[in-house]
This record gives sequence, structure tokens and C-alpha cells, in this order.
Amino acid sequence: MMNRTIKRIAWGVMLLALVLYPWLFGIYYTNVFVTFAIFALYAVSYNLLLGFTGLFSFGHAMFFGAGAYATALALTHIEGCPLLVALLFGFFGSVVLALLLSPIVARLAHSAFAMLHLAFGMLMYTLALKLRGITGGEDGIGGFPIPPFHIPGVVSVDMTDPLNFYYFAIAVLGGSLWLAWYLIKTPFGQIIVSVRDNDKRVDYMGFKVPQTKAVIYALSCGFAGIAGSVYAMFQDLISAAALGIGHSFAPIVMTMVGGVASFAGPIWGAAIFAMIEELTSRYTERVLLVEGLVLIIVVMFFPGGFMYLVGLIKGKWLGFIRGKGFGVITGQWFTKRSGKKATEDDS
Amino acid sequence: MNILETKGLYHDFNRLEVLFDVNLQVKKGERHAIIGPNGAGKTTLFNVITGTYKPSRGTVFFKGKEVTGAKPHHMVRLGMGRSFQITSTFSRLTAFQNIRMGVLSRRGIRFNFFHKVDTMGDVTQETDEILKRINLHGERDMPANTLSYGKHRSLEISMALATDPDVVMLDEPTAGMSKDETRYAIELIRRLTEGKTAVIIEHDMDVVFSLADRITVLHLGEILASGPPDKIRENKAVKDAYLGEMEG
Repeated sequence: MMNRTIKRIAWGVMLLALVLYPWLFGIYYTNVFVTFAIFALYAVSYNLLLGFTGLFSFGHAMFFGAGAYATALALTHIEGCPLLVALLFGFFGSVVLALLLSPIVARLAHSAFAMLHLAFGMLMYTLALKLRGITGGEDGIGGFPIPPFHIPGVVSVDMTDPLNFYYFAIAVLGGSLWLAWYLIKTPFGQIIVSVRDNDKRVDYMGFKVPQTKAVIYALSCGFAGIAGSVYAMFQDLISAAALGIGHSFAPIVMTMVGGVASFAGPIWGAAIFAMIEELTSRYTERVLLVEGLVLIIVVMFFPGGFMYLVGLIKGKWLGFIRGKGFGVITGQWFTKRSGKKATEDDS
Repeated sequence: MNILETKGLYHDFNRLEVLFDVNLQVKKGERHAIIGPNGAGKTTLFNVITGTYKPSRGTVFFKGKEVTGAKPHHMVRLGMGRSFQITSTFSRLTAFQNIRMGVLSRRGIRFNFFHKVDTMGDVTQETDEILKRINLHGERDMPANTLSYGKHRSLEISMALATDPDVVMLDEPTAGMSKDETRYAIELIRRLTEGKTAVIIEHDMDVVFSLADRITVLHLGEILASGPPDKIRENKAVKDAYLGEMEG
């Protein structure tokens, strides 16, 4: 029970910090934080596929983009479209795209899955560039009205005010992160990690593998769509660049640097990259150079990412806790020891 | 009554015949061993029955219903469990989580997004009971790939039984085990399959003759003989093809 109280206090402190953040750091860093939060959700949505289902995709940007474009188009063309409806457009835009693709991709895995997503991603990027009438081509869609957060008769909050938008964005992104976290704790979450470990055996335990993959795929893409939707409203602009290959790789490197094996890993990855960007851009424009260097260092020396490092320190600190499942969640993914063990068993 | 039966089963890989007119009959409640030299088609027979492959000809009956070509998850839901010759657990999940998959499956808990699986008391309790029964309770929270070989094999076998099937298909359950581990595994299988129907592929003749109620001998994709252990031991064709070469 003691642990629970500490946890509750920690959450309370964090919530308070989030509420006070804009007052402490000013509007510039508030916007930096919103960008970070968007990418945190985007990376977590990606890791639902990579870390929890074992599906490696090179085209997650198309779902981020689908959400962003759906929201932008809704706000541009629907007169008086409410804020939350625009957000739902973003979510369902991605989910629908995912469901359209799922009959094909849910039966694939490994490199076929990855490469097909590369192809679809490039296709979507080209479509966004070429269908100028709808997407505005390279210039994208911008300057659409951002509606107020409006509950008739109760409240109406102006969302063009960055401070108000911060609270809205944090609530939406934080809520989505909580939903994603809850998802992996459900029986369904247990089935997807089993698919990651051994999809053939999942079939032999009485579960339908392609259907399971299709559902987690649609949900993951839906979360990416929410991230994209908030991004479009935050920038008041969305262009084809958001669908580009670089944007597909962002969540991959964030997940790798943060730690693929844990839920919080991608969030830390997004935070690390946000900080790198913020700090390096003060001195040079070559931000990618630094980010690439960090990625190389992580891949070479801490293949489990930031969370693995945290796990090591925590493990040393608390002593070796066996039976708490601690090592399972944080350490086991890429550690050399478990890798060796697996090959020994095979022989 | 035959709970599992195949009629005129053929299977080929790119025209290479692996199964040739196999008529297998498994009676309800018996332990049925399938033996035969390497390449006889034993595992292929398992694969065709459990749904990995669709047979190229012939039919499979399970509990009186035709199930030819039904997918593995379908067969499991009908009441069939299967373990593998090459250990095939969820390697990064704990022993507890591995077994729990079977418990969840049997209870039909699949697309459940509203409850935390750790707070499902009855699922946890049932899983813990199974772990105790298979003597893996001490390793409850260890990832499957960190278990010792013998324990890992026990887990493999128990996963097939965690869905509480009526028929369990065990593909070389004692593969790669030491003498002691084998003896322990046999006891485990004997205990866990009590009151169930078991079909077991096995190489170790001591195991086969001590465990099986009936034996089917497969040779070059064909059934050479099928019957109680004593009859099989004395069967001339079986001696020539298989037993003789092992003893001599």
C-alpha cells in the first residue's frame, strides 16, 4: 500500500508540474513541450507495433499524415466544425486507412511488412504532392480556422491562445497515452506480446493471429492519427513533408533510443530528441548530425536504449529483484545474455 | 468410439509424397503412441491433423465432425491441444504468462479491452494451480527462455494442456532430455493426460511401451501396423522395418 501512496503522490506532482509548466517556462518552451508531447504519442503508437507486436514498419508517417490531413480538411471545408469533431476526423481518418490496408498487411511480418509500408508510405507522400486540388501539394493546407473548445451553455475556450491550446493538447495526448498504456495491460495486450514472441504458437493456443494483428494495427494507427491531428491544429498547417520518409523514421529512432521494450521508452526517446534539437539548434543547424551520432552510440553501446540504462541503474540500486518481472519488461529485449541463451536452446 | 480419425490421408510437398493413405484411429481416453523412423511422416501427420497444412487428399474427423483443413485456432477451440518437438513457447514472457495464455483461451477471453489481465482473480488462480501441478511454481515469474531445458520442455508440454483440451497431441515431448528429465516428463505426461486422450510421437521405446495403450507404426508415410504394445512388439513387419534395426 505504501508503494501505491508514493505512486499517487508522484502522479499528483507530475500533474501539477504539467499544469504549472507554461507559467514557469514561458510560451516558447510551452510550444516546445507540445511538439514533444505530439511526438511522444506518435512514437508510442509506433511502439505498439514494433515493441509489443513485433511488427516493423517503415511507413508510420502515412497514418500521422492521414490524421493531420483529415483534421485540416475537415476544418477547411466544414463550416463551424467543432474542435473535438475535427479531432475525431483525424482519428478515424487513420483508422480507416489502416483498415483498408489491414487485409494485406495483417498476414505479413518481418521484412515484407516493413517494405510494403515503405511502398505505401511513398505512395501516400506522392499522392499528397500531386493531388494539389485536395492537399495543396507542397504548400499543404494552412490557415484553417481553429475552433474554440465549446460545450454549449457551459464553456467556450479560445484555442488560438497558445496557453489554452497547451492544456487541450496535453489532455488529449496524455489521455491517449493512458489509453495506449491501459491497452497493453488488458488480455488483448497479452495476446499481442505473444504474437511478437511466437505468432505460430498463438494460433495453436486458440487465437486468430491476423485478426489480432489487424486490431492492434488499426488502434496503433488511430493513435498516430490523433498525434497528427493535434499537430495540424497546433501548426495550423500541414504539408506533404509530414508524410515523408524522414517522418516515418522519426518514431523508429525515438523508440530505439528510448528503449523498444518498455512502454515509457518511446516517450523518453521523444524527450531526448526534443532536448537535442533544442540545445543543438542554438549553435548549429546540423541537428541531424548530432541526432545520428546519438543513435549510433545507443545502438552500439546500449542496444536496449535509455530504459535499459535506467533498468541497469535501478537494478543495481535496488538489488537484484527476481520475481517482480522487472527484468522482463526493461532489460531482456536486446541484452546479449538472453540472446545467447536463446541460441543455445535452439541447438 | 474414435475421437480422432483420418481416412485416406495423403500429403505431398511439391509432389514428394510424405503421407500415403493414412487411416489413423484414436479411441477416446487412450494414450496413443505414433512411432517410426526419421522421415516417416510423423510430424507431418500431426501438422495435417492440427491444421498447419491442409492435406492434399483425404479427411480428418474430430469428435465425429469433419475438420479437414481447419486452422489451428479452430482445432484448439474444438478441444485439441498440441505441443512441439522444437520448444515453442513465448520466450520473453514468464512461465506464468505462458500458461495464462491457455487459460485465457479456454475461457474465451480474447478481444477484451476493458479489464486489466492482472486483476482477473480467477484467471490468475487457475494459472497458479496449473503451475503448481506442473511443479513450475518456483519459476513462476521467470521468462521462459531463462528456464532450464527440462523445465522449459515441461512448460512446452503444459501449454498444450492449459487450454484443457480433450485430445492432446504431443510431438516428441521428451526430445533432447536426459534420462532423469525423461523419467520426470513421462510422469508429468501420465499425470496431466489422466482422463484425456493423448497422441504422442516418441522415439524412446521404453517410454512408448510403458506409456501407450496403443501404438501406430508409421513407415515411409504409410501405416505399417496399429495395435496394443504386445502385438506391435511381435509384429514381423514392424521388427523388420523399425524395431529390429534399433535393437540390432
